[in-house]
Amino acid sequence: MSHDDHHGVMIPAPGPEFVAHEVAHHFSTPVQEFQAGKLGFWLFLATEILLFGGLFAAYFYFHEVFPETFRVGGQQLDWRLGALNTSVLLLSSWTMAMGVRSAQTSQKSKTMIYLVLTVLGALGFMVIKFIEYSAKNEHGLIVFSELFSGYDEVTGQVAWFKDYHGVMKDVAHGHMFFAIYLTMTAIHGLHVIIGAIAIIYVLYGTSKGRYHAGYYLPVDLAGLYWHLVDLIWIFLFPLLYLVP
Amino acid sequence: MTTNTPAVDVQTTQPKAPRENYLNCTTSFKSWALTLDHKRIGLMYLIGTSLAFLAGGVFALLVRLHLWEPEGMLFSNPTYNQIFTLHGAFMVFLFVIPAIPGSLGNIVMPLMVGAKDVALPKLNLLSFYLWVIGAVMAVAAIVMGGFDTGWTFYAPYSLYTDQAVVTIGLAIFVLGFSSIFTGLNFIVTVHKLRAPGMTWFRMPLFVWAIYATAILQVLATPVLGITVLLVAFERLYNVGIFDPRLGGDPVLFEHFFWFYSHPAVYIMVLPAFGIISELVTVHSRKPLFGYKLIAFSSIAIAIISFLVWGHHMFTSGQSTYAMFAFSFLTFFVAIPTAIKEFSWVATVWKGSVALNSPMLYTLAFLIIFAIGGLTGVILGALNVDLHLHDTYFVVAHFHYVMMGSIALAFFAGLHHWWPKMFGIMYNEFQAKIACALIFIGFNATFLPQFVMGSRGMPRRYATYVPEYADYHKASTIGAMILGTGVALMVFYLVASLFIRKKAKQNQWGGVTLDWMCPTPPPHLNFDEEPQVVHEVYDYTTLDYETLQRDCD
Amino acid sequence: MSDHTSTGDGHAPGELDMGHHHVSSPAMFLSVLLALLFLTFITVVVAQFDFGSANMLIAMGIASIKASLVIAFFMHLKYDTAINKLVFMSSFLFLSLLFIFTLGDLFTRRLDHELHTTKSPVDLEWSHPSTLDGDH
Ligand SMILES: [Cu+2]
Repeated sequence: MSHDDHHGVMIPAPGPEFVAHEVAHHFSTPVQEFQAGKLGFWLFLATEILLFGGLFAAYFYFHEVFPETFRVGGQQLDWRLGALNTSVLLLSSWTMAMGVRSAQTSQKSKTMIYLVLTVLGALGFMVIKFIEYSAKNEHGLIVFSELFSGYDEVTGQVAWFKDYHGVMKDVAHGHMFFAIYLTMTAIHGLHVIIGAIAIIYVLYGTSKGRYHAGYYLPVDLAGLYWHLVDLIWIFLFPLLYLVP
Repeated sequence: MTTNTPAVDVQTTQPKAPRENYLNCTTSFKSWALTLDHKRIGLMYLIGTSLAFLAGGVFALLVRLHLWEPEGMLFSNPTYNQIFTLHGAFMVFLFVIPAIPGSLGNIVMPLMVGAKDVALPKLNLLSFYLWVIGAVMAVAAIVMGGFDTGWTFYAPYSLYTDQAVVTIGLAIFVLGFSSIFTGLNFIVTVHKLRAPGMTWFRMPLFVWAIYATAILQVLATPVLGITVLLVAFERLYNVGIFDPRLGGDPVLFEHFFWFYSHPAVYIMVLPAFGIISELVTVHSRKPLFGYKLIAFSSIAIAIISFLVWGHHMFTSGQSTYAMFAFSFLTFFVAIPTAIKEFSWVATVWKGSVALNSPMLYTLAFLIIFAIGGLTGVILGALNVDLHLHDTYFVVAHFHYVMMGSIALAFFAGLHHWWPKMFGIMYNEFQAKIACALIFIGFNATFLPQFVMGSRGMPRRYATYVPEYADYHKASTIGAMILGTGVALMVFYLVASLFIRKKAKQNQWGGVTLDWMCPTPPPHLNFDEEPQVVHEVYDYTTLDYETLQRDCD
Repeated sequence: MSDHTSTGDGHAPGELDMGHHHVSSPAMFLSVLLALLFLTFITVVVAQFDFGSANMLIAMGIASIKASLVIAFFMHLKYDTAINKLVFMSSFLFLSLLFIFTLGDLFTRRLDHELHTTKSPVDLEWSHPSTLDGDH
């Protein structure tokens, strides 16, 4: 290599509002850096699929063992809120895709607008999720204050499952549906938060002019992560709210 | 580069001034703690995983000492449960899984493909620190009262015991992500950072093995992550899916656990295969017999290993049909594995074998792995396994693979690349003695376990009926010999760092790229980007001058 | 595995051509969004009717179509390198192995009961978690 004084290749900035990008020293070309980042991130997304896959396998397993529990449990969730949240996530996925596109075409202010909209989508999703959790809390289906209070050997019930209105009294192990609902949506919600933080990070970088047609990898990767969050919800929505 | 054509265009003649290399280019504590150099990260892994190995080894010796007497010598029964759990958890999660990819993989693999570093150096450092955090959490779990579930954390016992299962569960979650990020990094490195001319079929087999391992690390480990997370959740808020009191099914836990942990056997053993593939060719100075077969068999093993996990659950209450399928599929793993063993033996056959210490460890591996592999086939047979399940036969089988094969291959690789890593040689005579002690001690420890296992001695028991006393005594004596051998090895390896007997530029006469860069390698590995023009393991290209010349 | 290997891909250092970059048109993104919202609507409508055991199949079928749209267009995988496609798709392949064997075990435990007709009822209860459920 001719330019090997510990400095990488420079990608020039396309305009005065942008800054140039220096390719990391162990890469020879910008393409190599870009493709390495993408391949690494796709591999990471594959691990996320398998991580959630374990939860989905548990869902299908117990849906098969206790079909009535899942049917009645699913009816306790408000599918309207679920559908609303699905739409919010789909819209934010669209704004994210447009944000990446704007970065690809060096449109700084447009990128920032789309990224802000995406973060607002994440926020909206979490607010609606909070409303849903509160409703579950009120009906005693998931009593959050007693979440870690354990299991009562005598009644054979877990402490956080009170079922004030007795909606699950006719089915076996009524808490099971809500345990799976809580676990899956909470881990998904955590991903929403992580995704939002990632988007805020690239939003900051965009404001500094770091991302443009020559180098937009971080925006692209934050976008991929956000679409994965959407992807998982696409399956969670019918499985939890519309239990077939 | 006067007498022979080197495999690559690399400057091998340097001025005699003390050369700058990755060890001495910077010296501050920070330059090590925050290094992005794959070789330094590899060395830190080497130190960390070796300490975990020694800790796990001490627990093993305690277990063996306790079993000297039928009623147990040292511990109460609950303490014994904790000690063997610690032995298993430390050895599996802190040593065997991360050791070879983390240390030798990190140091050697980028050199072998002719790269300046791994593709994602910051992620590499993160992997290491995740390992450290996982190790600290594991130690914290001991301080918090220990854990007694066995390294397998089977539900429902792991849900009910009053010990630090949540802490060690989360530790394993963190260690899992350390392993995932290492694998991810290596896949990207192999795909994107190979030097010009380094085609897929010019890659050394160690690279192929590390690559196949990385596929498993990325695809299998997340399921372990969610499994230990769910165990922690069960204990925290009674999810119920593994807890039979709440309608859950412990068999589901075993499915999840072994979906990872069978492929994990290959996460552990494939890098060992890779080391052996390298060493048999270098120390026989003969191209590998069946290069492509070995390369493809690594990938085949990686894929087939996802189809057989149920062979750990033949007595757990799976359906009979599932057991048929899992037993049947298990036999297919034997095919690519046997291909490797045959290829190695055929490589050594009529080669000009140099019986130096790395090769002695390699030969020990070939013998021990043949036994470990074949007893695995025996256990894969459904009807035989019903008799041998959870006996010392199983214990002996997996120690023949884990300790006898993987740890020995790790030692072999360590002796092989030690002069490359540090530019110094250890005491070869002491190395041969240690190798002999380890080989004898290992077999003395575990051969009796095959016998007592087939006669019904169950694993994990703190006490036993007196009929088994002789086997246990033989096994304990063997463990002491094994421990002495390992102690001697640690001694002369550490001592070599102080004696500083200079190694040769190309100590063993390797022709892969790791021996083409200066010894020890400079910070950016190669003085000039290597251009690969020769096929792999082409010993006609060996530059004999580098075998004679002291390293810089 | 025809991905680029290192510097051998013919790009001079500093060259701004970033290889396989595809910039999708806003119209395309908008139509994908509308298709996704429409399919969400369909899922909800279909869920009001009972198709028996086909319910799950229909719901998962629609979800898979939606997922494919997100993956192919929003995530650009349609225009990405072969290796990236292989990586992401293989995660679903290996996940399906977890599903097939785990659920396969569960489903065939029923058949076990027919296979072992000589077993006592106590054995049967021990072997199947669904016997804990009073519903069937
Ligand atoms: Cu196995």
